[in-house]
Amino acid sequence: MAGKIYEWLDARLNLKSLGHTLLDESIPGGASWIYVFGSATLFIFCLQATTGMFLALYYVPSPDSAYDTVQFIQHEVPFGWFVRGLHHWGASAVMVAVGLHLLQVYLYGAYKRPRELLWMVGVCLFLLMMAFGFTGYLLPWDQNAYWATQVGTNMVATVPVIGDGLVRVLRGGATLGALTLSRFFAVHTLFLPALMVCGIVVHLFILRRVGPAGPWSAEQAKQRSETFYPRQVYMDAVVMLGVFLLLVVLAWTVEFPLADRADPADHTFTPVPEWYFLFYYQFLKYVSGPLEPLATWVLPGLFILGLLLWPFIDRNPERRPSSRPMALASGGAFLLVVFALLGVSLWSLHTAPKIDPSVARGKVLFAQQHCMACHRIHGEGGMVGPDLSYVADHRPDRQWHLRHFHEPQSVSPGSIMPAFALEEKNLSDLTSYMLSLKSGIETSSGEELR
Amino acid sequence: MATTKQPTETRRSFFGWIIGIASSVIGLGLVIPLVGYVIAPALKRRDTLWAKVGPTGSLRMGEPEELEYASTVKDGWRTVTAKKGIWAIKQPAGEVVVLSPICPHLGCGFRWDPGDHTFKCPCHGSVFDVTGKVLAGPAPRSLDVLPSKVEQGNLLVLYKEFKSGLDHPVEL
Repeated sequence: MAGKIYEWLDARLNLKSLGHTLLDESIPGGASWIYVFGSATLFIFCLQATTGMFLALYYVPSPDSAYDTVQFIQHEVPFGWFVRGLHHWGASAVMVAVGLHLLQVYLYGAYKRPRELLWMVGVCLFLLMMAFGFTGYLLPWDQNAYWATQVGTNMVATVPVIGDGLVRVLRGGATLGALTLSRFFAVHTLFLPALMVCGIVVHLFILRRVGPAGPWSAEQAKQRSETFYPRQVYMDAVVMLGVFLLLVVLAWTVEFPLADRADPADHTFTPVPEWYFLFYYQFLKYVSGPLEPLATWVLPGLFILGLLLWPFIDRNPERRPSSRPMALASGGAFLLVVFALLGVSLWSLHTAPKIDPSVARGKVLFAQQHCMACHRIHGEGGMVGPDLSYVADHRPDRQWHLRHFHEPQSVSPGSIMPAFALEEKNLSDLTSYMLSLKSGIETSSGEELR
Repeated sequence: MATTKQPTETRRSFFGWIIGIASSVIGLGLVIPLVGYVIAPALKRRDTLWAKVGPTGSLRMGEPEELEYASTVKDGWRTVTAKKGIWAIKQPAGEVVVLSPICPHLGCGFRWDPGDHTFKCPCHGSVFDVTGKVLAGPAPRSLDVLPSKVEQGNLLVLYKEFKSGLDHPVEL
């Protein structure tokens, strides 16, 4: 049946020659597992496009609704957590795939003549991918999204002369708000995908014109060649399936909770960027004062320019890695720096005192139980009871607090505080919150992101 | 090109199988959840609750009065307070009949004309008597009666919507 339909279509559309063009492209040196990264990147991009379209069914890009719609997708729409999970982990996976693809091309010297244009378009696609990551990060409109974007857009302001204007254009005004969210959404879901699709088409077009580079040794390339189908397609398909299953498992098992709803008034929040921007985040910590513009735009600008023009900078025609010590050394040094920065950043994030979830729950309870009516914390709240701003400094004992909540007068005779008939778990959370209120906590909870 | 290694027929079909299996797993792994994701809201019934619309004491016998029905409903991710005007008519025996405010013809809102004691729909001219029966115009059925009850002197209503254009009420 399928065969008959195919014959019928082929008689009209000449599909066989199309299939031949698509699948019988010859690969010098034969198919290899090392060539799968480009296809894997394309596959994850398609997955991102699909899950993104479906997320847009329920997502609304306005400060009033964005956070609620993301919560709705996560908790109420059947499989919403799955679609959002795939999109979230897919964003990371595509960065890994792009990175590996770039490394492979670099290691194999596949950017050299006649493939300079292929490389340059690839670099543009990589930058577009970064832009996807940056614009997509704001969309959930939680604290992390808001403050990380605040920082990200502020860095643009350090560009001389045009910086201020540029930030205003990025944000759609002087401050980050409704217009920022709607333009980030439009860019993330309409402009960037359109550019990306065009870029991918050009990338593939050039690939077909110049052909795959194959192994770095010319002898090996000449020894044999093999068509794209079936072995390379098979390898690509196996890798795609592996990536898909990995993303499904991640979406299924690893939680990535939303932070609180974005609160422009809460300046205490310290945002952390996505891991693929972490090395840069760490780098910024070392560069301050008059050198800051160097880190915020001079070096990144030079790096991007260098990457783009790399085929013209590295004019050594040799592709074999052993004949390219300089290129490999500079690439290796760059990777070393990036991974060292990433490592330091992850390590410092890991060792920084984390906000205990029970502290956060206790803080919510503190508000719900209207403790603020009598108690003051950092200048907010009533003056009837003691100021609790640094209560843990002189009351560090957990048991004391628990007994005190149960029956205030038992540990503090004459107190007018009422007993709170809450569940043990809630009292424990409230106690955790009390114990977190001590002097010096702000300075140790992590440096401000600049 | 020195040699071009031609895979044998069985190898070709092995690769074909693996490619087919990989694409099917990915395809089904996406299609099944995504279909559920898309059709979920269509399968969800709207939950409406009995809402108090006011005391029955002030209603006059046989004289329709527009009362405000307010209930909190979930509209997607939003929780909204929906307000509707419903028509309450006290009956001779003391019970109250509540009519939906929507014309069964094409869904316009109708008005009460105290002059000739009829409900009139301004859109297409349907006319109903005080019990909701069609007197004139294109309306295919009587006005829809909403479930109601009186508890401790308060009128409670369960708001529903019905498909328009049918000769018998079908709940949406």
